[in-house]
Amino acid sequence: MAIPYQVLKACGSVVFAARGSDIHSLNSSLEHISTWKYPVKQENESSGPVLEIQEPPEVEEGQESPAPEGRPVKRRKLQNGQQGKSNGQAKAKSGPQKAIERPFIQGLYATADGRHLVAITGSDKTIWVFEHDGAGNLTQLSQRAMPKRPCSLALTPDNATILSADKFGDVYALPLIPSPTFTPSDSLAAAAAAAAAAATASPSPIPTPTPPSSTPTPIPANLKPQADKFTVHTKRNLKALENQKISLDRRTATDQRPQFEHTLLLGHVSMLTAIHMGADARGKEYIITADRDEHIRVSRGMPQAHVIEGFCLGHEDFVGRLFVKGEVLVSGGGDDDLFLWDWLKGRLICRAGLLEHVKEVEAGAAKVAVMRLVGCRLAGGETGVLVVCERVPALFCYELLEDKTLRHRETIRLPGNPLDVEVLESSGPSPRLLVAVDSSASPGENSSSSLIVLDKGTEAAWRQSSVQNLPPAGEIDISTKELEKILYSTESLRKTTDFD
Amino acid sequence: MVADKKDKRQKREEYRAAMRQEGASELPRKKFYRQRAHANPFSDHQLIYPPSPDHMDWSSLYPHYVVDAPQAQETLATETPVGQDLALVQPKRLTQDVEVADIGCGFGGLLVALAPTMPNTLILGLEIRVSVTQFVEDRIKALRAQSQEGLYRNASVLRANTMKFLPNFFRKAQLSKIFICFPDPHFKVRKHKQRIVSTTLNSEYAYVVRPGGVVYTITDVPDLHEWMVQHFEAHPSFERVSEEEQDADPCVHIMRTETEEGKKVERHKGQKHVALFRRLDDPVW
Ligand SMILES: C[S@@+](CC[C@H](N)C(=O)[O-])C[C@H]1O[C@@H](n2cnc3c(N)ncnc32)[C@H](O)[C@@H]1O
Repeated sequence: MAIPYQVLKACGSVVFAARGSDIHSLNSSLEHISTWKYPVKQENESSGPVLEIQEPPEVEEGQESPAPEGRPVKRRKLQNGQQGKSNGQAKAKSGPQKAIERPFIQGLYATADGRHLVAITGSDKTIWVFEHDGAGNLTQLSQRAMPKRPCSLALTPDNATILSADKFGDVYALPLIPSPTFTPSDSLAAAAAAAAAAATASPSPIPTPTPPSSTPTPIPANLKPQADKFTVHTKRNLKALENQKISLDRRTATDQRPQFEHTLLLGHVSMLTAIHMGADARGKEYIITADRDEHIRVSRGMPQAHVIEGFCLGHEDFVGRLFVKGEVLVSGGGDDDLFLWDWLKGRLICRAGLLEHVKEVEAGAAKVAVMRLVGCRLAGGETGVLVVCERVPALFCYELLEDKTLRHRETIRLPGNPLDVEVLESSGPSPRLLVAVDSSASPGENSSSSLIVLDKGTEAAWRQSSVQNLPPAGEIDISTKELEKILYSTESLRKTTDFD
Repeated sequence: MVADKKDKRQKREEYRAAMRQEGASELPRKKFYRQRAHANPFSDHQLIYPPSPDHMDWSSLYPHYVVDAPQAQETLATETPVGQDLALVQPKRLTQDVEVADIGCGFGGLLVALAPTMPNTLILGLEIRVSVTQFVEDRIKALRAQSQEGLYRNASVLRANTMKFLPNFFRKAQLSKIFICFPDPHFKVRKHKQRIVSTTLNSEYAYVVRPGGVVYTITDVPDLHEWMVQHFEAHPSFERVSEEEQDADPCVHIMRTETEEGKKVERHKGQKHVALFRRLDDPVW
């Protein structure tokens, strides 16, 4: 089945366009330069086929993650402390997913200097760093599998650090280029050192506290039951202790911490959907994170990321995407409106209707799910914000006005659902846009039309031309249903009424 | 069997309905409010929470503290800057804010013991389990009705998942004290992220607690005590309060003796481990 391009990233005059698990580079004339292919063979040899699974295997049976992908896993009652279905079985049955051979590229990020490209792949939870020669050629430098699936990345302005925001709500800092002197401690020592930090919380940003140690034991402290009958006084606690004893054996096998430098900076107890860096008038950096539970959090930049400066609160559905411009922030997600914030003060400046414009394209639309917010420079020099809404065949263009309000400027209709949009270098006053379009819904279109250029020149209307001579799409064994699930995952962030 | 179960549930519901009748001053009985011991803090539940503290209507929780003059309401309301498009219906304001929070308050023993000792401070219990929250509501209602001196008007309870929604209820630096009494231990390493104290959650406590404010912890599980001490001490926003100061704090005595869990531990002659942490000023930035 032919798959569309799903992620775009401009980097100087080069554009990177991901299709499935491959990254193609195109020059300023949108001619193909080269392709990086996901190293499928190496992956298969080492760990077998990669499953597009619902949850990382370390998730407790019956524990819902902060992030639902597909149906929430039903809670199962455990009888007499007996473990329910093993995780593997639960996964296999929990959804319509089947194995797909290579995980899709979920995000592409370029350093400010354009010398590195960073990618996230989905089901293998991996962050890839490439060196970019400035002419569209990539050299793979590193491949780091994170403890939990990264959802969004930000790069610090000094190009030195990757911030990875994950599905379980944590933000880790990783050096862009891993330092050659870092030696992962041997597994036992590492496990012991991590005992003090939460399962996902090692190493700590703050000097990691020493684990609770009474006498040295042959097994790490965290693998022993942490209480005994004499320290447990209530039925509640006793039951918890029993459960812990049961799960010990299974733990030893599954305890795998990344063997590379990574620092926990901050965390929400909710799936993170977006992370961005911002700076104040003095140039101080901040980390802005958004989650599925309607929160936008502003934390200080490193090394004071433990200090929360404030929140931008007011969304009533999930926050999906952020766009930061100076002191203002635009956010969008499952709400009918886009929100404009003075993010440092945590103040809502205004809301701008989005659903009303979606309805002009899809009369029956009752809700929106914002997939992308991309900034651009408009013809008059104003800042524009391009909005992609899931399964709506149009681009919505907003402008940030001088008085710090956000106004809908125009709607650009497209022949298919846009999956991503990127701003290309342009000689004229109007921006030149590249849109990845899923044309599978419109019969008769061939796959080469899945990248569309929008430009205006001097005319009033946008000219649309499809990019020709793209590399062949390489067939991939995936059903339409599976593909849709990967490409259109935003709406699933919306909470359904699941009474407990 | 089935009929029996139904019967029980019906009884429970009738009892609770009767308790909720206006003016009920009889103290509620625990057995009608039991609920499964654990609620998963990661799942969505069916929680009601305000989008932001500005949206929170406290008037039904602390009816005696509602600003009643309509004019005063207005002036207070405009203090909060609201965007032109934001059709925020300003909730009724209180004469003062909540300053003390009991996180995972259970059946409310601490709340009702603390309330008379700080009659001019608003205290709020936060509890994730529905019927336990209802019990505390009914308990406070009855105590308010029984009190001739107007005690317990400063105590109230809310159903909330504090691990997710603390900043929806409280503004930055709003609280002077947080109590975390006998939290669920979550012994399993894989469940440690469910613990109510963690490196990342401590940043949220630091956000809602003002510099100089104190986080109180108590547990009967030595390991959890160590865990909490390590995580708060390692967090740059907190420092451990000295033992002398701790022992001199009247809240510590109440925390040791008045919570339901604390009493259980007492009956089993168990140990109680106390640790207090002061919120430090944020470093220069
Ligand atoms: C062991 S009980 C202690 C109750 C009370 N503090 C005492 O000492 O008697 C822990 C309580 O925390 C509640 N709890 C657990 N996680 C919570 C959360 N995320 N938000 C609010 N309450 C929570 C539980 O429902 C339970 O009632």
